[in-house]
Amino acid sequence: MPEKLDELTMARRVAAELKPGQVVALGAGLPGRVAEVMPSLPPGIAPVQFLAESGALGYEKLGESHRSSSGAWVDSGGGPVALSRGGSVVSLVDLAGMLRGGHVDVAVIQPSRVSSSGDFISWTTAVTPGIFAPGAAVDLAAGAQRVVALLPHIGSDGARSLVADSSPLADGRNCVNLIVTDLAVLQVTEQGLVLSELAPGWRADDVAALTGAPLAVGSDVKEITCAPVNSVPSPMGKIYPDGRSAIRDLPNGAAVMIDGFGGPGGMAHYLLVTLRDLGTRELTIISNTAGIARSVNFGTPPGRLAIDHSILIDNGQVARAIATYPVSPSASRPSSFELAYRRGEVELELVPQGTLAERLRAGGAGIAAFYTPTGVGTLIAEGKETRTIEGKEYLLEEGLQADFCLIRGYQADTLGNVVYRGTSRNFNAVMAPAARVTVVEVDEILAPGDLDPELIVTPGIYVDRIVKRPEGFSPYE
Amino acid sequence: MAQEKVYASPEVALGDVFEGAVILASGFAGCGVPGRLIRGLAASGVGGLTCIFSHDLGPGGAADSDGGIAQLVVNGQVRKLISPLPFTPGKGGVVEGRWQAGELEIEVVPLGILAERLRAGGAGLGGVFLSTGVGTRFEGGREKRSFPQGEALLELPLKADFALIKAAAADTLGSVVYSGTERNWAPVMAMSARVTIAEADRIVEPGELDPEAIITPGIFVNRVVSSA
Repeated sequence: MPEKLDELTMARRVAAELKPGQVVALGAGLPGRVAEVMPSLPPGIAPVQFLAESGALGYEKLGESHRSSSGAWVDSGGGPVALSRGGSVVSLVDLAGMLRGGHVDVAVIQPSRVSSSGDFISWTTAVTPGIFAPGAAVDLAAGAQRVVALLPHIGSDGARSLVADSSPLADGRNCVNLIVTDLAVLQVTEQGLVLSELAPGWRADDVAALTGAPLAVGSDVKEITCAPVNSVPSPMGKIYPDGRSAIRDLPNGAAVMIDGFGGPGGMAHYLLVTLRDLGTRELTIISNTAGIARSVNFGTPPGRLAIDHSILIDNGQVARAIATYPVSPSASRPSSFELAYRRGEVELELVPQGTLAERLRAGGAGIAAFYTPTGVGTLIAEGKETRTIEGKEYLLEEGLQADFCLIRGYQADTLGNVVYRGTSRNFNAVMAPAARVTVVEVDEILAPGDLDPELIVTPGIYVDRIVKRPEGFSPYE
Repeated sequence: MAQEKVYASPEVALGDVFEGAVILASGFAGCGVPGRLIRGLAASGVGGLTCIFSHDLGPGGAADSDGGIAQLVVNGQVRKLISPLPFTPGKGGVVEGRWQAGELEIEVVPLGILAERLRAGGAGLGGVFLSTGVGTRFEGGREKRSFPQGEALLELPLKADFALIKAAAADTLGSVVYSGTERNWAPVMAMSARVTIAEADRIVEPGELDPEAIITPGIFVNRVVSSA
C-alpha cells in the first residue's frame, strides 16, 4: 500500500478548509496541529482565530520546547501557545456559552468513530470502554456551524474509524460535516459518506475496503491538495465609516437591543441618533429602561435634553419594549414611553432587571430557557410555568435574542475586541452575544494587540461592526 | 477587617473541610491548578470527598501531574469524581485503576454542561435547558423539551462546599485576577461554592488591582492564601 499522510499534512488539509475571519475551535489531539500549520494571511485580511478548550482565543502554537509545568497559556491538549495580536482569554463558562450559542464557525475534533450520518464517538470513549470521557468535544460538535473530524482512517486499536452506525453510544449526533483522514477526504451527506479526495497513490477501492460504512465515490475525485480552497479576502472589515453605513440594513420591525443602565453613561447615543434619522419603524426595543434620562435630570446641562430611547419613541418608531424600568420615577415628569403607552401606541413586556440580564445571557449562550426564583408570587409570574425544584419555587424564563444590538464601548480594536469604562459596562457585555448583528460605538479604534488581552471584556467574535463616535459628539441635544 | 480573608497557610484555610464535603478545584490540563491547596487537602487526610475537577492532560496524565486531584485519589480521600475527562484513557494510572477496581465513583459531565451547571448553582437558577447532548448518550434520563430553537435537556445546578482556585493576584478583600488560560474554571467555581479559597501568586492591598481588570470580585472569595 502507498504511504499514509502524516499528521502535519492532514492538519494542512484542514487548514486549507478555513476562511479568513473565521473562529475555529480546535479540540485536543490532532486538531491542535492545525494551529501549527496555518499559513499567516497577508496584512489587511482578517485572521483565522483559533479557540482552545482552555479558553485561549486567537493564538499560535508554540513548540514543545516551550512547555513548562505551570504554563499560563495552553491549548486544548495542554500544549504551550502564545496569543496572536488581538487574542484574548475567556473563562470556561464563557467558552461554553461561546460554543453553545453558535458563535464558532468551525470546530475540528478527533473522534475515534464517525458514522455515515455524522454521529461521532469521542476518542477517549473507545480507549476505555465503560467510561464516557468527551472533554469538550460534545460542546464543540453541538455548537459549531461546521464540524470537521480529523482522524486516522484506521484507529490505534486497529479498527476502522468510519462506521455505518454509531448508535446508541454517540457523543454527538448528526453533526460532522467533513472527514479528513490519513487516506482520504470525505463529505458527510444525507446519502452517507462521499469520497472526494484521496491521498497520493491510493485508489478508491482500497480506501473503501478500509471503511466500515458504505462509501459513494464522488464524480470528481482528486488527489488531496492543501492549497486553500477559498483564498477570497473577507469582504469587508468590521470598521464602518459612520453610523448610517453601520445600521442602514436594520429593517423595519426589527428587535433591537440598546444598552445603557439609566443615566447618560454606557449608551450608544450616536447610533441612537442615527437610527432616529434613518426613521426605521415598528421596532421592538430591548433595554433596561425604555428611556428615562430625557425626563429625569441625571446631570443634564440646563436647557439641553439627554439623548435616549425617547427620541425613537417621540419619532413614532417603536411598537414594543421589553424593559425593566419603563416609567419615569417622577409622576410629574413622565417619560416618552410612559406617555405613548398611555395613548395605546406601544406595547410593553415588563422584565425584572436580573431576569433581563439572565435572559440576554441565555440568548447569547444558546440556553433555551431557565428556572429563576425572581418574580415568583408576583405579577411577573402571570402566565409563566412555575416549578418547585428541591423545595424552592422557580419561574421558567426563556432566552432573548435580537436582530441588532447597539452597544457602547470605550475602545475597540479592529477585530472587534471591546473594553468599557466603569459602570458604562452595564448591559453591553451581556447583550453583545445575543444579537445577530452587534454594532459597537467607541471613542477610539486601535490596532489588534493594543488592548491588554486580560482586560478585554467583549471578545471580537461577538462584535460585527465598529463605529467611532464623532469627535465632539454630545449625548445631549 | 480586610485582613481577615488572608490565611497564613493552606492548613488553616482548609481547617473546616469536613468528611464527605463537595470540593471544586480549578485547573485545565495542568494549567491553573491550586497545587498548594490540593497538597494541603492531601495532608489533612479528610476523606469521603466528592471532587469536581476538569480533566488533566498534563504530561503523563492525571495521576502523575504534580498538584492534581489525583494525589487525593492515591490517598483514598475521594469517594466520587465529577469531571469532563477524569483521566487520560489508557494512561490514567491510579484514577483509572481505582475506578476499574470499583473503589472510585466517576460521573462524566461534558465541559460545557459542567460549566453551566456550576454557573446555575452560583447564580441561583433552578435549572437550565441546554441543547448540548441532545440525541447522545448524555440524554440519559434527563427531561427533554422542545423550544423554538430546537430540543433541549434540563440540567440541574451544582453547588459545592468548598472551591479551591488558583489566582495570579488577589487583594485582601478577595478580588482576583488571573494569568492567561489559568483563568479556566476559577470564575465559575468561585461563584458556586459556599466557601471559596483562592491561592494567589501575589497578595496585594485593596486598590492595587486595576478595577477594570478584576475578573472575580471579592464577594465570591472567602479566603486567600499565598501560592508560595
